[in-house]
Amino acid sequence: MRRAAFFGIAIALVAAAPWLLHTPYWRGILVICAMNVLLALSLNLVMGYTGQLNLGQSAFFGIGAYVSTILVKTYHWNFWLASLAAVAFAGVVGLALAAFAVRLRGHYLAIASLGFAVITYQVLVNWEKVTEGVRGIYGILPPVGSTVGLFYLIAGIGVLVYWLMDNLVRSPVGDTLRAIREDEVSAASLGVRSYVWKAFAFSIGAGVAGLAGVFYPGFVGTLVPDAFNIVESFTMLAMVIVGGMGTMIGPVVGAVVLTFLPELLRGFGELRLMVYGIALTLVVLFMPGGIVQLVKRK
Amino acid sequence: MSDLAALVVQQGLNGVYLGCLYVMVALGLTLIYGVLNQINFAHADFVTVGAFTAFFAVTRLATKVLGLPEAAGYLLSLVLALGVGALLGLAINAAVFAPLRERGDELRPLIATIGVSVLLENAQLALFGPIPYQFDSPFGQHTFHIGRIFFTGQSVLVIGVSALSIGALYAFMRFSFWGKALRAVAQDRETAGLMGINPGLLIGLTIVIASALAGMAGALLGPVLVLTPFAGATVVVKAFAIVIIGGFGNMQGTIIAGILVGIIEAFTVQYLGSGLIDLVVFVLLLVMLVLRPTGIIAERKEENV
Repeated sequence: MRRAAFFGIAIALVAAAPWLLHTPYWRGILVICAMNVLLALSLNLVMGYTGQLNLGQSAFFGIGAYVSTILVKTYHWNFWLASLAAVAFAGVVGLALAAFAVRLRGHYLAIASLGFAVITYQVLVNWEKVTEGVRGIYGILPPVGSTVGLFYLIAGIGVLVYWLMDNLVRSPVGDTLRAIREDEVSAASLGVRSYVWKAFAFSIGAGVAGLAGVFYPGFVGTLVPDAFNIVESFTMLAMVIVGGMGTMIGPVVGAVVLTFLPELLRGFGELRLMVYGIALTLVVLFMPGGIVQLVKRK
Repeated sequence: MSDLAALVVQQGLNGVYLGCLYVMVALGLTLIYGVLNQINFAHADFVTVGAFTAFFAVTRLATKVLGLPEAAGYLLSLVLALGVGALLGLAINAAVFAPLRERGDELRPLIATIGVSVLLENAQLALFGPIPYQFDSPFGQHTFHIGRIFFTGQSVLVIGVSALSIGALYAFMRFSFWGKALRAVAQDRETAGLMGINPGLLIGLTIVIASALAGMAGALLGPVLVLTPFAGATVVVKAFAIVIIGGFGNMQGTIIAGILVGIIEAFTVQYLGSGLIDLVVFVLLLVMLVLRPTGIIAERKEENV
C-alpha cells in the first residue's frame, strides 16, 4: 500500500514537473535531470548494492549514445530497434568489465574501471571512420519532437527502471548482492557464486547507463566523445554518494539535487561547478549516508 | 650508426625523458599508497596547480617583478611549485586523510579526494578559464647532439632533477631517522605507534612529500602540457596505470614502470601515431591486471616503501 502510494506520488510529480517549470530552459534541465536519475540508478546497483567501486560508468553512457546513433544514422535502423541493440551491446560490454571485477577489488577495480573508461573514450576519439572522432556527429533527431514529450518518455522509463530495480533489490537476488558487498568470502562460503552475480550487476548497470545514453544525442543534437569523459563518471559518483548510496531513493534525490543546485547558483558563474566537489567531499566527511540519512534520522 | 639504430636510440632517449616526468608524478601516488593504503585522486590537480604556479612564476614574477634571467626564473618556479604542492598536501591531509584515517574505510577517502579534485578543477576553471596557457622552458631552446642523437637542455634538466629527487627520496627513506620511522609506519602502524612514533605526523609528512613532488612535476611538465585546469588529469590517469603496472606501493616498480611507459609511448608516437598513446598504455594496464595483478614487482607489505 505504501509502495503504491509512493509510486503514485512519483508519477504525479513527473507529470506535473514540466508544467511547474514551464520555460523551455527549465524543461531542458528536466530532461537532463531524468537522464541523470537513470545514470545514478545504474551506478547505484553496482556500487551501492554490490559494493564494487566502478569509475567506468561513463563508458556505458557513451556506448549507448554512440551505438544507437550510428545504427540510426549510418544503417538507417528504426530508433527503438537501435536503442534495444545499444542497450544490449552496453550490457555485453558490461560483462567484459565484470570479467575484471571478478578478479580485482577495491582500489585495483577503481583504477581498472577508470582505465576502461579511458580506453572507451580513446576508441570514440580515434575510430574516426565510424564515430567521426572529435569532429562529432551532427543533426541527430530526438525520438519525440517536443521537450515535454522527451521528458515524459525518459522520466517514464526512469520510474519503470526504478520499480524494476526496487523489486530486484527486495528479492533474494538483492540479498545476494548485498551479501557480496558486505563480505565476499562469507557469501562464497554460503554457496553464493559471486562472479555470476557481479557479472549480473555490472551488466544490468551497464545496460541502464546505455539506456540513458540512447536519449542523450537526440536531446543535444550533436555527439562528441568529450561528453563521455571520465569526469562524467565522477558526476554520477557524486549523485549516488550525495543522495545516499545503497538505498533506492538516495541516488534519485542526489541526481535531482545535483542537477538543479548548479542551475540555481548560476549567478556565481563558473564557481557554481565547484558545488559537485564541495558536496561530494562534505557528504563523505560528515554525512556518510547521504541526504537520505539526514531525513531518516528525524 | 645505421638509420634504424639512431632512430631507436633517439626514441629511447625521448622515452626516458617522458618516463622521468611520469615517474615524478607516479612516485607521490605510490608513496601515499605504500604508507596509507590510500589513493589520492586530487594528485592530478596538484600537478596542474604546480604547472600554473610555474607559468605565473616564469611569465610574471621572475622576469617582470624580480628581473631575473629566464633560466633562473624557471629554476625558481620549480622550487615555488614544490612549495605550493607541499601546502596543498598539508591541506588535503588536514581536510580528508586525517579525519577519515581512524574509520578504516578503503573507499571513502578515495571518494572524498575525487570531490577535492572536482573542486580544485572547477576553482581553477573559474580563475583561469578554459583556454590553454602556454609557456616555454628557457632550457628547451638549447639543443645538443652526440653524433646523430639530439636532445634539449630541458630533457637534461628533467632527467637530472628526477634522478636527484629519486636519489634524495631513497636516501631519506633508507638512512634518515624519519625515513626509518616512515617505513615502520608503513609496515605496521600500530606497533610503530607503540614504539613512540607518531603515525599521524608521519602520514602527514608522506602526503606533504608526495604532493610537493606532484607540484614540481607540474612545473617540469608545464612547457609540454596543454595547460588547462584539466591538464593534470590526463597525466595522472597514466600515472595510475604506471603505479599498478609497477606494483602498488612499490617505489622501484614505479620507477621501472614509469620509464617503460615513457619508452613505449615514444615508440607508439613513432610507429602508430600520437592519438593511440593512451589506448596502448591502458590496454597494457588491463593485460597486466589480468596476467600479473601484483605488478612488475609484487606488493610485499613489509617492503612497500
